[in-house]
Amino acid sequence: MDDDIQVMRDQFLNREFDEVKLEIDGIRFAEYAKACGELDQKFTDPTHEDFQAPPTFVATLVGRRNLPEDFPQLNGVGMDAGKAVEWLAPIRDNMTLTGKSHLHDIYTKTGRSGRMVFLVTRMELYSEDGTHVANADTRTVIRERPSG
Amino acid sequence: MADQIAKISEVEFGVELPAFDPDTSLDNVRRFGKYVGWGGGRFTDHEAARKEGFPGAIIPGVMSQGFLGAMIHRWAPSAQIKVIDTIFRAPVLVDQPHTITGVVTNIEEDLKQVEIDITITNEANETRVQGTATIELPA
Repeated sequence: MDDDIQVMRDQFLNREFDEVKLEIDGIRFAEYAKACGELDQKFTDPTHEDFQAPPTFVATLVGRRNLPEDFPQLNGVGMDAGKAVEWLAPIRDNMTLTGKSHLHDIYTKTGRSGRMVFLVTRMELYSEDGTHVANADTRTVIRERPSG
Repeated sequence: MADQIAKISEVEFGVELPAFDPDTSLDNVRRFGKYVGWGGGRFTDHEAARKEGFPGAIIPGVMSQGFLGAMIHRWAPSAQIKVIDTIFRAPVLVDQPHTITGVVTNIEEDLKQVEIDITITNEANETRVQGTATIELPA
């Protein structure tokens, strides 16, 4: 583990830096489902008795910021490297979720063009009664520019 | 290769899921942008995307992940996706044919869980998106 990465991990991992309220709109997730090719009416038809969001829908929910306010500026351009979703309970129309974000992991890979820093931001989603319904991870990669 | 499965006992290790050709048309991506978000020029306008250095408009990553989920549900309508992890290796281009393939890589009968590797490839058979999913199926 590089020293600078260990310092960032010690300072920022698992420290909540954002909390947002998210109003869930069934029309929005039904259109998401149809555009993605879902066929099951429980994802596409608001009149279905078990109408709910497809598990991957939570990846479209965003907080106010993706990194802590005091996170250091890294020397490179950030790109979306991936998304991960953990489903824990159904998300339904008109729910109000609370999204709490923290940095879940920081690690590096070194390629021919130099070091790449990966930042995994996790938003934990809770329903109004406090049930943990999903985790949504965003993996950002920063390709560092050569220094000097 | 079964077109659909209903319970875990029907799943075989190494079986390939039916391939799925997602709708990557500009109309579909614009519809996604209108209702879901990600309606910016790089996703909904080829010329705007080229000005940003892309070969053409690109599919939002969250939509590519949604394609993977839909593919699983088409094969296993009774499946509950527990975890799905997606790596964006290269852009998925709008209006270009892409194919999604999947293969069963592990079966945990006791947990009623199946692991699947999924890949989105373009016409040149280049991998654009890779994913792994854990699903739960009825016994």
